[in-house]
Amino acid sequence: MSAIQLTNINKFFGEKSSRVHVLHDINFAAEAGQLSLVIGPSGSGKSTFLTIAGGLQTPNSGSVQLDQQPLYDLNTKQRDSLRLNKIGFILQAYNLVPYLTVREQFGLADRVKKHGNLTPAELENLLKQLDITELQHKYPAELSGGQKQRVAIARALYTDPAIILADEPTAALDSARVKEVGRLLADLAQSQNKAIVVVTHDLRLRDYADQIYEILDGQISKTV
Amino acid sequence: MFLALKEIKHEKLRYSLIIAMIVLISYLIFVLTSLALGLARQNTAAIDSWQIDRIVLNQDANVNLSQSLLTKQQLAGIKLGAKEAYLGQVAVVAKASGHAKDSAQFIGLAADQFVAKNLELTSGHKPTNKQEIVVDTAFKDDGYQLGDRMQLNSASKSYQIVGFTKNAKLSVAPVIYGTLTAWRQLKNMGPTFMASAIVSQDRTFTATSSQLKHYSTQQFIDKLPGYSAQNSTFTFMIAFLMIISLIVIAVFLYILTVQKLQNYAVLRAQGIPAKTLVGATISQAVVLVISGLLIGTLLTAVTAAVIPASVPMTFDIPILAAVALGLILTGIIGALFPVRLILRVDPVSVIGG
Repeated sequence: MSAIQLTNINKFFGEKSSRVHVLHDINFAAEAGQLSLVIGPSGSGKSTFLTIAGGLQTPNSGSVQLDQQPLYDLNTKQRDSLRLNKIGFILQAYNLVPYLTVREQFGLADRVKKHGNLTPAELENLLKQLDITELQHKYPAELSGGQKQRVAIARALYTDPAIILADEPTAALDSARVKEVGRLLADLAQSQNKAIVVVTHDLRLRDYADQIYEILDGQISKTV
Repeated sequence: MFLALKEIKHEKLRYSLIIAMIVLISYLIFVLTSLALGLARQNTAAIDSWQIDRIVLNQDANVNLSQSLLTKQQLAGIKLGAKEAYLGQVAVVAKASGHAKDSAQFIGLAADQFVAKNLELTSGHKPTNKQEIVVDTAFKDDGYQLGDRMQLNSASKSYQIVGFTKNAKLSVAPVIYGTLTAWRQLKNMGPTFMASAIVSQDRTFTATSSQLKHYSTQQFIDKLPGYSAQNSTFTFMIAFLMIISLIVIAVFLYILTVQKLQNYAVLRAQGIPAKTLVGATISQAVVLVISGLLIGTLLTAVTAAVIPASVPMTFDIPILAAVALGLILTGIIGALFPVRLILRVDPVSVIGG
């Protein structure tokens, strides 16, 4: 059973003569416990793919199923709730809230999602696994790029989502850090039974993926 | 509230500056309100102390006590009860050796009528003859004492202070209470003239003469020279300050919200409901305004403690509390402007690029 499944997704931008067909009949599935890579160059449609998979942008046709639940049959409020409960986002620019310490980034989630978040002990384990235990009382501005990325990963995992969607998580990292993040995502997928989907143009992550899709000019194909 | 407080705590300088603006605005509003109240009270304190509901004036007096004269002929057939009293008013200049000249309002009273009977003294006794007067405590502040004598206008005989009363102000001048006979002397009028007005504690009291007209106390107060114009000026100043505070709060929060839209987009992408972010913005405005108000109130209290008694300021707590509530509401309204931005934030904007 797929954690997330996209079926015959089409997405257009613009009207009439300026209409652009961004995604062509996209079919994609990711399983729990797997790290799935969607690789493509800039402008290939991979960000649009991610926003549709995450319930942020409605496709023109096709369906997205999260745990067998049709995502776009839900209203905005229900999709917000589903994102909060089932999807974790890791973004290219980390986008941590600048005025919250690392610890408080999790506290915000506690305020809007009262149940189902990691227990304090589970959070401690996660912070240890990500090697950021010592950073709990620091603000994002006090962290390096790699540390911010690990905090962003921890924040995405804190609500214990079934699916993690990552947008270019290694864009700002050097090779050593790329390997570290690749290994970490693969480990987390396996150890925590998450379906992790990474859209990237960074081919260095290929070694850690369980399955690899290539997206080019809005068309997707499975390569591994 | 969580996000609001954390941000204020982290961005201390930025939010201190906003709070400082609110402190200055609230302090200015409090001081202006107190000044407006003080001046309004100095116009009407004596009238308030009489506790009257009606006033009867000469119909040609244009609702002006100093322009009104009531003659015996006009008052024929009007029977005064226990709730009615004659008032004779004349503007005077009080002078005494060793004291500066003071402009004052002389009010002549009949000793057996309710205004004179109800007159509350802080010291001394009520006038027992036409050369005795009871004066406002402002004269005491100027160094006058019981037993001192003063000249009123160019009257040949002096008047002796036999009592002090507080809150006796009319048209921002201290009141000198004396007898109706003394009033006639100061006006250079004969016994044909009975008084300037009849005041009544009975709201149904009417004058039967066609040459007289009755007014409610509020109508009379509104027509006091300069009273309405002065109050309107203060009301406009306070209203404009309220509008300025609304604009300041709205502009600051708008700019801050624009700077935070990227963060809000991320939080929306993560499923944080828009109402949480809207709540953070509104509660932030409330925290800022209340913080500013508390400091503004403290400054106002210090001002109240050190301001000289000669400055006509009245610090009326219920009215200042209402003004503070108005400022809080203003802050909330100001916070509603950036809410539209938050509701329109697009989580897609933080993905890709």
